[in-house]
Amino acid sequence: MTELLKTIAPGAGHWLVLSAILFSIGLYGLLSRRNAIGVLMAVELMLNSGALNFVVFNHYVAPGQVDGQMMAIFVIAVAAAEVVVGMAIFVALFRRRSTVDVTRMDIMKF
Amino acid sequence: MTPQEATSTILFYVLGAAAVVLALAVVNSRRLLRAAIYLMGVLAMSAGLYILLGAEFLAGIQVLVYVGGIVVLIVFAVMLTRSADLLVDKPTVGRMILGGTTSIAFLILSGLIFWSSNFQPRPGAAGPADNTLAIGRQLLDTGAGGYVLPFEIISLLLLAAIIGGIVIARKTPPRNQPLTSGGDLPGEVTGQLPRSQSDKAVTGGRP
Repeated sequence: MTELLKTIAPGAGHWLVLSAILFSIGLYGLLSRRNAIGVLMAVELMLNSGALNFVVFNHYVAPGQVDGQMMAIFVIAVAAAEVVVGMAIFVALFRRRSTVDVTRMDIMKF
Repeated sequence: MTPQEATSTILFYVLGAAAVVLALAVVNSRRLLRAAIYLMGVLAMSAGLYILLGAEFLAGIQVLVYVGGIVVLIVFAVMLTRSADLLVDKPTVGRMILGGTTSIAFLILSGLIFWSSNFQPRPGAAGPADNTLAIGRQLLDTGAGGYVLPFEIISLLLLAAIIGGIVIARKTPPRNQPLTSGGDLPGEVTGQLPRSQSDKAVTGGRP
């Protein structure tokens, strides 16, 4: 058991693969969802995996500093601002057109 | 291998698998309210992963801002924009194929880039003893390598986002009602603002 745990102990590669998997799942949701709020949730997944990547590189490249964690904090703050504005846009849009279906928002599509 | 390392190895796999499964549930759940709850789970698992990486302060921020704030906002938005045609969000087969192909291609591409690079990570050493202290000092450091300017800019960004959110989402006034009347004119509460002649008298000549 201890031998097995030693061979599968997570290194930087394991963490990066996990982060890439989460990002890919978010990408899939971004492209397949029809509801705008579902799209926003997928974007949140992608932002979260990006922040995780910053922390992983902080841990494995410059463990003595906290620069990566700082970037993750800024990512979280930007995500909060993005969600506030996005939700306001969706509520205003729903009031005007009574749908948040992204496949039907094609007025500016030529 | 110390018991601590064994525990963190097991925790990595448990939390990582839970995060991946919950993320799949987020993008595949047909009901958006459930997807929001699964998203809360993914973000909580990420907080646990941050603790494994030695970023306790960041884990606390993650729980406070993401799980406590953003997900609640998303749940509110889901409830405010319920429409009959999107109660069950089922993507078409074409979109599923497009999304699946793109995401798998991205995963393979990033994996190839990682394996072909000669990235040599240092063995994960211990970070600063007091994580929160180090972050706080660097966040308000005005010298080289300090983050006080991005800190100020991000607070301005949040202020702009708050004001923008209020302005965008507020109730649109009816046609012909002055947008800049301030909201304290007689009749504005009931939506019957005086028009034409009396309008000028009340607003003091403002359009």
